[in-house]
Amino acid sequence: MKTIILLFASLFSFTLFSQTTISGKIVNEKGIPIAGANVYIEGSYDGASTSENGDFTFATATTGNQNLVASSLVYETSNIVIDVAHFQNQTIKLRDNVNALDAVIITAGSLDSGSKARVSVLKPLDIVTTAGSVGNIVAALQSLPGTQTVGEDGRLFVRGGEANETQTYVDGMRVPQPYGSTPNNLPTRSRFSPFLFSGISFSTGGYSAEYGDALSSVLLLNTIDEPDQSKTEISVMSVGVGLGNTQKWKKSSFSINTSYINLTPYQALVPQDVEWKSAPQSLSGEMVYRYNFERGIFKMYAAFDASQYVIKQENINSIDKITVDSKNDNFYLNSSYNGFFGTNWNITAGLSYGYNKVKSDIDLDNLNNVENAVNMKLKLKKNISNRFKLSFGADYFITKYTEDFTRNAGNTFDYGYDNTIGALYTEADIFFSKKLAAKVGVRASANELTNDNSISPRISLAYKMAKFSQLSFAYGDFSQTPSVEYIKFSKNNQFESEKASHYILNYQYSKEGRTLRAEAYYKDYSNLTRFDSPTVVYNSIFTNDGTGYAKGLDLFWRDGKTIKNLEYWVSYSYIDTERLYKNYPTQVTPNFVPNNSLSIVTKYWIPEWKSQLGFTNSFSTGRPYNNPNETQFMNGKTKSYNDLSFNWAYLLTTQKILYFSVSNVLGANNVYGYNYALRPDANGEYRRSAIKPAADRFFFIGFFWTISKNKNDNQLKNL
Amino acid sequence: MKKIITTIALFVAVISSAQGKFEQGMGKAFQLWGEGKNTEASDMFERIAAADKTSWLPNYYVALVNTTSSFAIQDKTQVNALLTKAQNVLDVEMIKDQKNAELYIMQAMIYTAWVVADPMTNGMKYSAKVMEAYAKAKALDPNNPRAVFGEADYQLGGAKWTGVDTKPLCVQVDKAIELFATFKPETPFSPKWGLDRALEAQKNCK
Repeated sequence: MKTIILLFASLFSFTLFSQTTISGKIVNEKGIPIAGANVYIEGSYDGASTSENGDFTFATATTGNQNLVASSLVYETSNIVIDVAHFQNQTIKLRDNVNALDAVIITAGSLDSGSKARVSVLKPLDIVTTAGSVGNIVAALQSLPGTQTVGEDGRLFVRGGEANETQTYVDGMRVPQPYGSTPNNLPTRSRFSPFLFSGISFSTGGYSAEYGDALSSVLLLNTIDEPDQSKTEISVMSVGVGLGNTQKWKKSSFSINTSYINLTPYQALVPQDVEWKSAPQSLSGEMVYRYNFERGIFKMYAAFDASQYVIKQENINSIDKITVDSKNDNFYLNSSYNGFFGTNWNITAGLSYGYNKVKSDIDLDNLNNVENAVNMKLKLKKNISNRFKLSFGADYFITKYTEDFTRNAGNTFDYGYDNTIGALYTEADIFFSKKLAAKVGVRASANELTNDNSISPRISLAYKMAKFSQLSFAYGDFSQTPSVEYIKFSKNNQFESEKASHYILNYQYSKEGRTLRAEAYYKDYSNLTRFDSPTVVYNSIFTNDGTGYAKGLDLFWRDGKTIKNLEYWVSYSYIDTERLYKNYPTQVTPNFVPNNSLSIVTKYWIPEWKSQLGFTNSFSTGRPYNNPNETQFMNGKTKSYNDLSFNWAYLLTTQKILYFSVSNVLGANNVYGYNYALRPDANGEYRRSAIKPAADRFFFIGFFWTISKNKNDNQLKNL
Repeated sequence: MKKIITTIALFVAVISSAQGKFEQGMGKAFQLWGEGKNTEASDMFERIAAADKTSWLPNYYVALVNTTSSFAIQDKTQVNALLTKAQNVLDVEMIKDQKNAELYIMQAMIYTAWVVADPMTNGMKYSAKVMEAYAKAKALDPNNPRAVFGEADYQLGGAKWTGVDTKPLCVQVDKAIELFATFKPETPFSPKWGLDRALEAQKNCK
């Protein structure tokens, strides 16, 4: 190379121009030579690649001050002004490019999935191909560490926190009602079909200052920016039918996904432990419209869901079964713009609106509630340099909730609450080097209802110890308005925000298809809401002097490499937590927390059968329950829980898939807990009934058909 | 795929004498590429691109050299860096001209490289994009042999898994070979690679 350059140089020396030689060495931050770096004078043809020793020499016809560029793949490009006449044997240092794939990332608390995730804990397909999840995003997340499976509830319980301590966001905007309504002690499902989402980030603690009003966790869902093609998708399932369509134009696209679910035929075939007068049915739909501007994207997401059921449920406190006739209408609209402007400025602006109405007839009583919630958000981000990014923003939440209760066609009681929360936050992403990064932020919020302000610092640090492993630490303060179940009685009571602090230490090892995560955490709760009556009623006396803690260890191992065609992961969570809240007389472990949970998820692809077989086994040790026949509070413990689910996806042709799944293959007789009578019977005993699944097993059969120009696409990702 | 690298370089005409700086530089870059010095070749093309912003060819070759280099590399960090570089320079040219079929073919190649690098993660995501890019290229230039061949070849590559009928694809390969025979590059440095790959695919079809 050098000789060629010299040859060139000598050839040119006979021309009119006089030539100057430029030479030097390119090294990295540690002084190690970089081979193959490109060094040249901008705007001229003069330049060279560095040799094995990082040396370069070339001749140039340019004179005076010139821009000398030095670049190499995984380094930041250097751009310096030199005096051509006096640039010989100089050393140029290139800094590591902190955006490179092997740079450190902050991982404490967050479990990421999707294309933007550097280390994917879950792949997009997993939501749907995990046995037992049946397309329910939340069910798939429950196979990850840090979550507690609460079979009779179905919502996400994170690290000893109640389900309402997790907030759900779609494209950065809060979703006030992420779950469908269900009868007591029967699990709900997430309202979101995995079809329209490409990235999921599930944080089990220590999250960014961008998110507030959540004590334990945030679930961030992002709709697909750009669908791959126009297509129609048809599904026929044992529980209903679904239809989806995507249209793609030059700058915009539209996707719609609708489904009608009716469990009547299914329940006629598979006997249920509960008596449905009218099986659950729902009509739901989601749509996304996207428009691409030159430097930004506008998205509008809308979802509606109308569902109803009539159930006759046994109740330990009454001889006769109680009939519950419930109707739920839900609507959610979210529009956001994300774009770049100026030099390295990024803006996100969004508005979301949620409406939820539940109308329930409980025997002769009648309970109705309506919630209207609005979220406005503005966020600005400036990349000051590759190594320093600053963002700041404002968040505004308005919630209006009304409820009325009519007893036995008699008097009607009205109550409810209005609340607004305004918050400002700022956060800096700092890379000290390719190995050390920090995220430092603070969120200040003012809550109208609780009439308090909070300043919440959030700090995370990550350090890369070796090529494949790194250590992260996160600390944060979090606050949240108490549950709607309490604050709807705020007319007579003054509440305070509940508070928590998180401390998280995370170790991650990740190498080509294998990931190991270990995370230890400590969570300190204060200001939890307490009340003084057996159940929450309008004249309960509330205080905010509850306390609690949670500490534990979460382990996760994922491997898709060791055995060909087999992908599996193992999650284990140990938790030690106690709370003094609700009407608890002492600080104890709440009834939704098992101390040990283990899930094993496997997926095996058999090319000869064109099939993917999956098994998921979830195990957890017993959960506490309170037996009023005993003097010690919350002293009972259920037997351990086990569920083995199986699924089978068979590709009839590339675009036609047959899917089968069944839960609880082994027929374990699971008990989630016990309901005790409020009053003792004639013998002075409190009678009880076990809380169990509605049926031992759940079967699902579906046929999924994709119609598109490109015949390779199918709905495997939606199953 | 790996073979592409050497063959493409060989197909470039030997430089004639009376040339300007551009021709000299391009010729030099092709020579380096032919010698297997991919980094040096890419560097050279990059320098030409920085000096001569009127031609799309230098950046096109920066993209092509880096994309084809990535096929031979296992290290994911390196593959990511190469393909990111390829995409960045392609974007520069794509903004200037959205009617150039060769740029869409290059785009399809980059997406293909992502799939090759990690089929499990990227297969689903990029397959439709590969097809879309080839479709765009064909819409702009229906007789471009690389577009016709590339589209068929990508599907042939996936036929093992998708079970697609290979017969109509092989017909497309034959058609591409005929198109290669009549294809006239606009300039001595314009893309003209691909025939030998097509001939190889034709062999596998039989």
